[in-house]
Amino acid sequence: MSIIQARGLTKRFGALTAVDGIDFEVAEGELFGMLGPNGAGKSSTIRMIGCLSPPTAGELLVDGLDVRRRPREVKARLGVVPQDDNLDPDLTVLGNLVAYARYFDIPEREANARAREYLELFQLWERRGEIVDSLSGGMRRRLAVARALINNPRILILDEPTTGLDPQARHLVWQKIRVLKQRGVSMLLTTHYMDEAANLCDRLVIMHLGRILVEGTPADLIAEHAGRQVLELRLSGPERDDVLRRLQPVEGLRFEDVEGATYVFGIDGGAVSLISEIPHVGATALRPATLEDVFLRLTGRGLQE
Amino acid sequence: MTPSDVTLAGISYRSYHVWQRNRDVFKRLWRAELVPPVIEPVFFILAMGLGLGAYVELEGKQDYIQFLVPGMLAIFPMFAAIGECLWGAFFRMNRQGTYHAIISTPVSVEDLTGGEILWGATRMAMSTVFILAIVAIFSPVYDLYRSPLILLVPFVALGAGITFSAVTLWYTAMAPSINSLNYFFTLFITPTFWFGGAFFPPDKLPEGIRVAAWFIPTTHLVNVYRGLVEGEPRWSHLGDLAWLAVVGAVFTYVTVAAMRRRLIT
Repeated sequence: MSIIQARGLTKRFGALTAVDGIDFEVAEGELFGMLGPNGAGKSSTIRMIGCLSPPTAGELLVDGLDVRRRPREVKARLGVVPQDDNLDPDLTVLGNLVAYARYFDIPEREANARAREYLELFQLWERRGEIVDSLSGGMRRRLAVARALINNPRILILDEPTTGLDPQARHLVWQKIRVLKQRGVSMLLTTHYMDEAANLCDRLVIMHLGRILVEGTPADLIAEHAGRQVLELRLSGPERDDVLRRLQPVEGLRFEDVEGATYVFGIDGGAVSLISEIPHVGATALRPATLEDVFLRLTGRGLQE
Repeated sequence: MTPSDVTLAGISYRSYHVWQRNRDVFKRLWRAELVPPVIEPVFFILAMGLGLGAYVELEGKQDYIQFLVPGMLAIFPMFAAIGECLWGAFFRMNRQGTYHAIISTPVSVEDLTGGEILWGATRMAMSTVFILAIVAIFSPVYDLYRSPLILLVPFVALGAGITFSAVTLWYTAMAPSINSLNYFFTLFITPTFWFGGAFFPPDKLPEGIRVAAWFIPTTHLVNVYRGLVEGEPRWSHLGDLAWLAVVGAVFTYVTVAAMRRRLIT
């Protein structure tokens, strides 16, 4: 059975439609990604799953339970790492986990054992007596993940877990997410970093303006929508026209103009040798396709503002 | 439905977990917060009881300092409950994300509201014990402990604390910004402070003010405390307690609704 099932899920705030009738499922043990720019509807979806925002329409089941009718049981099965860090600044690192465990009715002895296990896993045990404000951004995020695991959730919800972190801290968070994946923890991850989604997710949806544009594995989505390689042209006038005239006859290529650059998708072996013969085109203009290209191709705009 | 799902206004035993969270924070910080609650009542006794009191002659056989004790027992602890449910709650709700973190667990908005109100009431009761202790220090000289019934005051404070906490938390849940918290002082605390019967009996006030003062919860709490401190409980005090209970119950309901509107979007 799927751990999360959404059918026609919709959220409206007055005239604004934040989530526009989306369907998706997250399977047991899966790391499922929601990729999209700000305003795509990712966080609204997460809030509906977490029973903090009632759906306007559609169906949403968590572990087979309706979020509208059984919020307490749904929340008991979730571990949520929110986008806005809401660790308890009035408590210590360990105090945060102990207080949180109580909200789930976890007995004290068990709570202490789990708190120790997760603080050690996330390299925070040494800091257990400090207040949260003395931690770095990366440590806070790891503590938020540890807190979300304290109830042994059926699924861990990670809402932009690395936004605002420096590269080193991001990699440490990624590493911990992989450890959890090996342990079989089901996860739903939202992000607007395509490299994060490509690196971590088994399967993902790309969202835009409240809708799901495409769904699949990162590799399949790239192969289907962007091809193996992408040519990124920053030329104009006759030079640009010349390149396009040479490439237009090639079958399977797709062209997209985005903010002063021309992207050519769907490039493979044959086209590569053709491109190498064209003057004005630098060697670096040709690069492997990424999920960013999928998004560009589908929406005509980039993921990041 | 299992026994663990039994609720009152949607509030379940899980409120206790919210109360425990606040208790843990208090245990960490109480030393830093200890000085004002000791100093202020002492200043109050010295200035009002001994300073002003030297010029005040009451109609009865009481000294003014004796008249002030029930008022002190009501006013200072009330500030403890209000502080917790005004500034404290505002920060937990709007700045720290604490409320959102809590309602992301099986603890509901109703439980959260109940836990916050219970904690405010606990602070009020604790503060009452504290004031009683300070009054005890002055008691041998000024004869302030005149009836053993005075020892019931902290228990009444726990109940009245629910009333004050519910009213305050309702206001906090409705407050659009931190600046609007100041209006609570103007609209609620100032009239409560001056016209709640803590400093003078309200009988000689103009009738309009006297009628308005009747609605202030503090008026009724001070009435009850006078009965206990002087060892003269009356049947009318049950009416005072009933009014506090009505205000507490009504505001607990409307606070739950306000908190839902604020936190579930």
